[in-house]
Amino acid sequence: MRAAARRGASVAPSSGPSKSELLKGTLDMLILQTLTLQPQHGYAIAQHIEKLSDDVLSVEQGSLYPALERLQNKGWVTSKWGESPTGRKARYYTITASGRRQLGKEISSFDRMLVAIQAVMKRA
Amino acid sequence: MSLLDGVRHQLRALFGARRYARELDAEMQFHLSLDAMQREHAARGALSAADARFAARRRFGNLTAITERTRAMAGLAAIDALVQDARFALRTFRRAPAFTAVAVLTLAIGIGANTAIFSAVDALLIRPLPFPHPEQLMKVGLIVPARNGNPPRTDMVWSYPKFTAFRDAQHLFSDVALYTDDQSTITGDGEAERVRTEIVGARYLPALGISPALGRNFLPEEDQHPEAPRVVILSDGFWQRRYNADPQVLGKVLDIGGKPYTIVGVLPRGFQGLSGHAELLISMMSLPADVLNEAWNHSYTLVARLAPKVTVAQAKADVPRLGAIVDRAFPSPEGSADHWGASASELDASRVDPMVRRSLLVLLAAVALVLLIACANVANLFLVRASGRRREIAVRLAVGAGRGRLVRQLLTESVILSLLGGLAGLLVAWWGVHLLTTFDPSQALRVQTLSVIGAVGFANIHLDGQALAFASCLAIATGLLFGLVPALQSTQSSLTGALKEEAGGHDGARRVVSSRNVLAIVEIALAVVLLAGSGLMLRSLGKLLRVNPGFDPENTLTMRFSTPESYGTDSLPGFFDAVLERTAALPGATGSALIDCPPLNGRCNGSVMVFRDQPAPVPGTEPEVGVHWVTPSWMPLMKVPLVRGRYFTRDDREGVRKVVLVNEAAARKFWPGADPIGRPVSVGQGGFWKDTAYVVGVVGDVRFESLDSAATPDVYLSYYQSPRSRMMLMLRSAGDVRALAAPARRLVHEMLPLSPVYEVRTMRERAADAMRYARFSTVILALFGGVALALATMGTYGVISFGVAQRTREIGIRVALGAQRGELLRMIVRQGLLLSLIGSAIGLVAALAATRVLRSLLFEVVPSDPLTFAAILALLALAVLAASWIPARRAATIHPSDALREG
Repeated sequence: MRAAARRGASVAPSSGPSKSELLKGTLDMLILQTLTLQPQHGYAIAQHIEKLSDDVLSVEQGSLYPALERLQNKGWVTSKWGESPTGRKARYYTITASGRRQLGKEISSFDRMLVAIQAVMKRA
Repeated sequence: MSLLDGVRHQLRALFGARRYARELDAEMQFHLSLDAMQREHAARGALSAADARFAARRRFGNLTAITERTRAMAGLAAIDALVQDARFALRTFRRAPAFTAVAVLTLAIGIGANTAIFSAVDALLIRPLPFPHPEQLMKVGLIVPARNGNPPRTDMVWSYPKFTAFRDAQHLFSDVALYTDDQSTITGDGEAERVRTEIVGARYLPALGISPALGRNFLPEEDQHPEAPRVVILSDGFWQRRYNADPQVLGKVLDIGGKPYTIVGVLPRGFQGLSGHAELLISMMSLPADVLNEAWNHSYTLVARLAPKVTVAQAKADVPRLGAIVDRAFPSPEGSADHWGASASELDASRVDPMVRRSLLVLLAAVALVLLIACANVANLFLVRASGRRREIAVRLAVGAGRGRLVRQLLTESVILSLLGGLAGLLVAWWGVHLLTTFDPSQALRVQTLSVIGAVGFANIHLDGQALAFASCLAIATGLLFGLVPALQSTQSSLTGALKEEAGGHDGARRVVSSRNVLAIVEIALAVVLLAGSGLMLRSLGKLLRVNPGFDPENTLTMRFSTPESYGTDSLPGFFDAVLERTAALPGATGSALIDCPPLNGRCNGSVMVFRDQPAPVPGTEPEVGVHWVTPSWMPLMKVPLVRGRYFTRDDREGVRKVVLVNEAAARKFWPGADPIGRPVSVGQGGFWKDTAYVVGVVGDVRFESLDSAATPDVYLSYYQSPRSRMMLMLRSAGDVRALAAPARRLVHEMLPLSPVYEVRTMRERAADAMRYARFSTVILALFGGVALALATMGTYGVISFGVAQRTREIGIRVALGAQRGELLRMIVRQGLLLSLIGSAIGLVAALAATRVLRSLLFEVVPSDPLTFAAILALLALAVLAASWIPARRAATIHPSDALREG
């Protein structure tokens, strides 16, 4: 995830850590939070995050899909093919009970991190 | 719950790869089209559909990369890579048929031979006994204390009275039973037939967990005392053969040994008693009362099943106490200080003779060494191949493939080759197993010493699921083993060096050559170890074959028969005269004789001997001797040398003073330095106990047990002074004695119409059988040694040959500078001999250590026998010399201009 810039840069196959690595956990948290509202398909999740964050957090939309795959592997999210409002077939993702539990854990650890960063910045 | 969902998702991706790819693609296209629509809509006509789509694509990111990353998350990336590598590997193998063929063949031999030997080891040593809960089955033996220089025994068999004392006192076992193997004559409808039987107690079948397929087991009432009605259970094979699988067979009467037995049951197919070849199970109560109730008639093996909740350790700890109870109930005669005991062991522990177990393990180790040599050979082949692909690998590394990825690719190649070799190896294994089962050494007469439990045997070896699993695992492990070094080696190359057009590739070649040299040295060392082992075994076999058995086995026919009970002891001598006269009169026969138990039989009668001119020894400490009954013609017929005194004559008959002959071993042991002729003795069998007999002659030692056991004291009684109903006829002829088999058989059958004539074989065949197992294991080991030598020679040839090819430029320059052919030849051959020297040195040290395990299997050969070692080192040096010769000649004919042009 990068702030502001919209270009989707191509990712080399064996790219190093880069931003996606650092914020991998955060992306998971955002997706899970989005899914607590209602089951959605991939595009809707991306739009939701962009709109609500006022475009500050703009996801490289493609990186959503590896993240969704990972979340499914861990059993925090399930998916099912259904019909979109326009009548087309789309895959809808739903958060599971353990997904909600994981979301709770991630929120509290993120909060802790925020507090810590704020504490350091204040001192400086 | 969530874990299950997650696992289910992963599995669905793995098993429905195509569907997964389709769905992912559809999903991302959906995303893109929605985004495009939304942009178009937002731009309100300022953006064309195509531009909108383009913008959506840009926003999305690299579609291919993201697809790959998603697939990687699903775990499909690894499988994709594997499939890709496998396809590539198969393509490259197809393009290099010679290399593939040689490698696959080498691996097939290694993996196939290992699978075959593993099947044998599995059937004979590992597979659980074919009974329900075999871990609960135990064998209890009596402990006989040491006496008379004989070591103590812990596996002594039981007598019936001692067994009942044990049975009544024990609480450890849910079932205890006795059994022994025997032979009986069947008369009645059909020909008189001699069959192998087992005499068993009523709890025998329940203890083993076997129920009759038809009818019932013996009832408790039938197991109480000898007056019980005689009952018998048939084996499935006997029932098929003799009664045509008639379901009405129960209740019929079978004549066994002249007495009527009622058939009460038929065994299930595949079970023939613990001895493995019983056609009938006869109730123990059919034995005469005096034989059964004799407390010192030890003839029966005790088998028991643990009660539930009792462990093996508990049983082993408590059985000695029960042994003491039995000993108190039946103390040694006349209060000698001897105390007998009892000990229990798992039935599985006595499944094969320890010597057989050891030799099988040696074969397993040997065949593993063969596989290692094969691996080294194939690794060498791979190194050659890899050196030809250095550019390809360098390019891949330069383009960005990780080293791990490349190593994985190369390992995939080697594992696939190895699996192909394993597949071909199954053919080799099938053939090997076929060989093992048809050769079946247990067909030999000495069944007892091969497999103590007949249910386990060579006939049971087959390629089953376990063998297949073994072959596959071995193939994969082999592939990883021989692929690892070349894979690591070839991905190490420096990029610049490989990418440049190198003529001759000097630096790389030197480095690669040394690891190939190491492989060649390893091969030679392993070959030395194998050759040492097989050389020693061959030498041992040679010595065994040259042992003087003490008689002349040429052109001698043997056959067994017995006179019926109706012949009284008084009429037997007349019968002996008649049979000997008439058989000796057959055309072509030069003489005949009778003996009770032939030489090289493994086990003959034995008893004790007392010397009547010395004070009586303490009972239980009398010396043991082998006892043999012969007619007077036997010794001269079999050319047993007379050392002192005289042979038996026809005048040594009933009513005259009893005489015995002794062998040299007995004379040396009992009358050292004195003359045994005329000494008074008594022997514990044949009616020679109460009366005194006199030694009238000393004859040469005859090997009655086996060729590799030392001669033991034997005493001979004359059939005329101690008539017996069982005998073996030995008939000698001038020419091929097999021609006499049918006429002799007919003649005896005429004289004894109701008795079967059986075991008609030549003495040579018996002698060969006695050594069948020794020959079998030696031949197989020698075969492995030969294969190892061939592989090592091929490997050395490959290394030297490749070295010459690598050094073509250098050699060309040398020739241009004036080197002679001879010099070049010597240079290359010296290289080969250097490899052989280092390999042999290492191999020698390893072999000296390794062959120590063969000590118990060798006959009169020490494991460090210098002659053998010298011979195999010379053989190996010659082989390497030959292997170096051809490349050397090629090197010597290199023309300098060719060499220089080749760059």
